[in-house]
Amino acid sequence: MSSHREAPAIAKDPVADSTDVYAFVSPDQPDTVTLISNYVPLQAPDGGPNFYEFGDDVLYEIHIDNIGDAQAHITYQFRFQTHLRTPESFLYNTGPITALNSPNWNRYQTYSVAKVAGDTSNTLAAGLLSPPCNVGPRSTPNYASLAQSAVHALPGGGKVFAGQRREGFYVDLGSIFDLGTLRPFEMAHLIPSAAAVGVDSTKGVNVHTIAIQIPRSQLMHDGSVPSDAANPRSVIGVWCSASRQRMEIHGGQGAIGPIGPWVQVSRMGNPLVNEVLIPLGKKDLWNATEPKDDAQFLKYYQHPELSGLLPVLYPKVFPNLAAYKGARVDIEAILLTGIPSGIVPGFQNFTTKVPSDMLRLNMAIPPSAKPNAGGLVAGDAAGFPNGRRVFDDVTTIEIRALAGATLPLVDKAFTPDGAASKVTDGVGPDNARYISSFPYLGTPLDGYHNPSA
Amino acid sequence: MAEITRRGFIKKTSVGAAALGAMAAAPGMTAAHAAAGHPASGLTAEELREPLVAHVRNVATGEIAVLVGEREVIIQDRELAARLARAAR
Repeated sequence: MSSHREAPAIAKDPVADSTDVYAFVSPDQPDTVTLISNYVPLQAPDGGPNFYEFGDDVLYEIHIDNIGDAQAHITYQFRFQTHLRTPESFLYNTGPITALNSPNWNRYQTYSVAKVAGDTSNTLAAGLLSPPCNVGPRSTPNYASLAQSAVHALPGGGKVFAGQRREGFYVDLGSIFDLGTLRPFEMAHLIPSAAAVGVDSTKGVNVHTIAIQIPRSQLMHDGSVPSDAANPRSVIGVWCSASRQRMEIHGGQGAIGPIGPWVQVSRMGNPLVNEVLIPLGKKDLWNATEPKDDAQFLKYYQHPELSGLLPVLYPKVFPNLAAYKGARVDIEAILLTGIPSGIVPGFQNFTTKVPSDMLRLNMAIPPSAKPNAGGLVAGDAAGFPNGRRVFDDVTTIEIRALAGATLPLVDKAFTPDGAASKVTDGVGPDNARYISSFPYLGTPLDGYHNPSA
Repeated sequence: MAEITRRGFIKKTSVGAAALGAMAAAPGMTAAHAAAGHPASGLTAEELREPLVAHVRNVATGEIAVLVGEREVIIQDRELAARLARAAR
């Protein structure tokens, strides 16, 4: 999926597994930017009695490059602490949870938010309450309002939320990983079958979300309000990471809790990159690497394996793509450097020549009045790859790009195959998965009404 | 870090305290030193309580990573590394 269980090591560590990152100018608060990073993938809503939570032993971070050198100049850090009110009970809650401070809530989490800028670290808030998981109507009645009470204001402006939400990323997972099948086009597959509609594999799961909304000026390098979309300094690079301390000793009197410096075990910038572009033998390394060091992965962006596979999996459908042997500079620009001025009329989100996988958001581009999940290639410059909104159809956008649809942006001599602008996994955004205000990802599915079976 | 003698290193830097702690954490050393009176007068009570882990990265070069709290301190001490390696026999 976007980055759910995408690498061998992190697939065994869901608490630290970054699944998606979003960065967009807030549609209802356009003077702010919303940054979201998700963890703990594929949560079955009825996954009790130990419902999902963040890791006390994980350092969660959202990084911002506002200089254009592929390095973090602002980092928001989130650290969690789990509390137990009634250790003698096996229950997550001993009665209805009608407020965040309910004594009925047995196991709950608080967290702190710190802002690191240069050598300075400031704790913006501490002891903030996360909402419980959405257990069911008896345990968590009025869940939407309960969760909304877990949106906390930050000093100096902005707000923060950390807790369970409904998964916003959609994809036909079962199809794509079955030898690159796209159900609407499987009649043309090497192993053909009748065309079918796409299946939304993630519509029934939840995720844990860290969301922070910040005044745009606080993200600019000089504190100004970004107003000129042509100004390179209006663009920020955004990525998230999760880190664990270097060592832990288990068992008996010799047990030592996590100790030592923080070591990055997961990161994410653009969707589907570590999932699809980076080979299995390099995925764990990619997760441990900072964007500034992404040059070592350049060849996987310039020569995507999937672009080579498409003409094989769909015989005679992609002859022009099959014949193209050059480096995919379009993919490199979209994912690693940003799109320079002059490529897409009136748009740029270039940050640096240093290959670095980040979402790149031009903060001077206002939210779209009529958002198109197809994003920039569909004429909506407020969407992916200009940052990423929660509903953007990143799977289709990237499949089409890999199929050659975006190659003419940098190579006018290339003519995309007819299918390049049509291929899709056949799954689109479902408005029920989102809300119109912070934190934008929808109310998580409750376990009572959404059993796994 | 340039190679220096263990005693000189301990004398010159506070990292030496971590190295001593690492020795105390080695199997078979803790009880003996405690009984003999551990020369830890340079350590605060908190430092005496705080767990630390010494990771001998390379016995031959004496490179040891001392992990404490959220920090890692690299020291170079062939004698200490050799003693820990012998203790692990």
